[in-house]
Amino acid sequence: MSYVLTTLTKKREVDSVIRDTIDKVLVLRFGRASDAECMQLDDILAKSAREVSKFATVALVDIDSEDVQVYVKYFDITLTPSSVFFFNAHHMKMDCGTADHTKWIGAFRRKQDFIDVVEANYRGAMKGKLIVNCPLPPERIPRYQLLYKDM
Amino acid sequence: MAENWRGECSNPNAKTLVPGKQDDSSKKNKKKKETGSQFEFCTVCNLNHDQGQRHKYFPSHKKSLSACLSRFESKLADVRFFLRNPAALRPEHASRNRFWCIFCDVDVEELGSSFACSNAINHLSSVDHLKSLKHFMWKYGGGMDRLDSFRILDADVTKWRKKCATLKKEAALSEDRCHGPLSGLSNDIHREPNIGIVDHFEDNYTVYPLKSSILNGVTPLQYNTNEQQILYPEIAGGPNAGSLPTKLVSSNASLHSADDSNGVEGNVHSGAAPPWLDSSEHSLVDYNIKSFSVNVASHSNKLEKSRKLNPKRVGAAWAEKRKIEMELEKRGEIAKKECDSGWLPNFGRVWQSGSRKESRREFEMEKQTLLKKETESEISKEIQPYISKRIRKDAAE
Repeated sequence: MSYVLTTLTKKREVDSVIRDTIDKVLVLRFGRASDAECMQLDDILAKSAREVSKFATVALVDIDSEDVQVYVKYFDITLTPSSVFFFNAHHMKMDCGTADHTKWIGAFRRKQDFIDVVEANYRGAMKGKLIVNCPLPPERIPRYQLLYKDM
Repeated sequence: MAENWRGECSNPNAKTLVPGKQDDSSKKNKKKKETGSQFEFCTVCNLNHDQGQRHKYFPSHKKSLSACLSRFESKLADVRFFLRNPAALRPEHASRNRFWCIFCDVDVEELGSSFACSNAINHLSSVDHLKSLKHFMWKYGGGMDRLDSFRILDADVTKWRKKCATLKKEAALSEDRCHGPLSGLSNDIHREPNIGIVDHFEDNYTVYPLKSSILNGVTPLQYNTNEQQILYPEIAGGPNAGSLPTKLVSSNASLHSADDSNGVEGNVHSGAAPPWLDSSEHSLVDYNIKSFSVNVASHSNKLEKSRKLNPKRVGAAWAEKRKIEMELEKRGEIAKKECDSGWLPNFGRVWQSGSRKESRREFEMEKQTLLKKETESEISKEIQPYISKRIRKDAAE
């Protein structure tokens, strides 16, 4: 499960992962390994990590770690699990028809969904686009509601 | 209308077209009468036109003509080099020395010539060539003042012939001087490639006498460098002139490596020393070259890969910089930089307006305000032990 994928607990580790992944999509999952939905997502990530290994890297970040709270705030992570996509240290946004384009919230239904999403990110990044469209149909995208503070 | 079209019309449908045209307005008929000449083919522009004599003054034609002539002139430059410095022609290189003379519409090949470009020189100085050159210039409007740049004058040819004769004499003398008994053997070895080449040439091809093929290091037209030029007179008179091909290789390895770009001896790709460096300098240069070639090889691989990657991709500049950094870190030239704790990646926040740098700045500001708040709250939150009223009263008293 998460034994296959690297779990990061410190900001320095996260930094090095982001900086060292060159010309590949980096998927950072923020979540708690004990959470049920997170476990589901981790399962899918672990199974597909090898298949996308040529153009993507997957890493898990533990939200509960204190060192990483900077990133939790910076990336506005409130709902778990959240996956943030990077390419060459640049953040890739994805328009899934949800309110938050900056990350993917929730788990994936199938391995193929995850691979499709990563592929869409990769193709867009190679063309120089910072925001890509989600290839999945709306029924397979987990829905959530964002409650905004200070609104 | 019909009488303007002469018998030799390149357009076979002309006659069928013409009756239709007769129904048009008189203006068109007048136009037809003016141009009215047969279709000609312009070799310079490579098209058929019916503009007759006017065509050579059109700007498009002038452009193509100047391009054509400059191309031919550059080819002639090579020939002129060998006119000034005659050198013997080796049979293997003969096939490389031919060129197409655009004025005479003839392919000038270097068969049966003992000196480089001798056929070309003879052709360019001939009377026929001059005639066709004049005709070409008249037909295509080249400018009769430039005739001499496309031919070789008789005076130059005679000079060249004298030089060739002296070269031949020198070669004969040197050949007699040394390696008399071996000449038989070396003849056989030299003739092997010649026999191979005979199949390719149709005309009478004669096997060269040893002397001309020994005048070694004769390179085809491509190599015009002065270094080569300097090497020729040295070698022509040198004692190695009549040596076997194996000796040729060893003593003139530099020349051979210059000759064949994919030679066995060594080339740029295998990291061999360039020919202009002495053997004494090899040791110094070898290390540098080897290390450089390794770098070049690995760098060229990377270059190929990065060439395939879209330069417009996201974060391309950053990726290239980072790759170089990592390469240097690997080699240990730069100590691994621990990125500072304040580094944040490029992130676009949810409620972001403007560029992503702004989101980072916003975040930094938020961080600072948060910190301030925390410190303030810490100061205010001083936990004090509970003192009962009675004790306080007593203390006050």
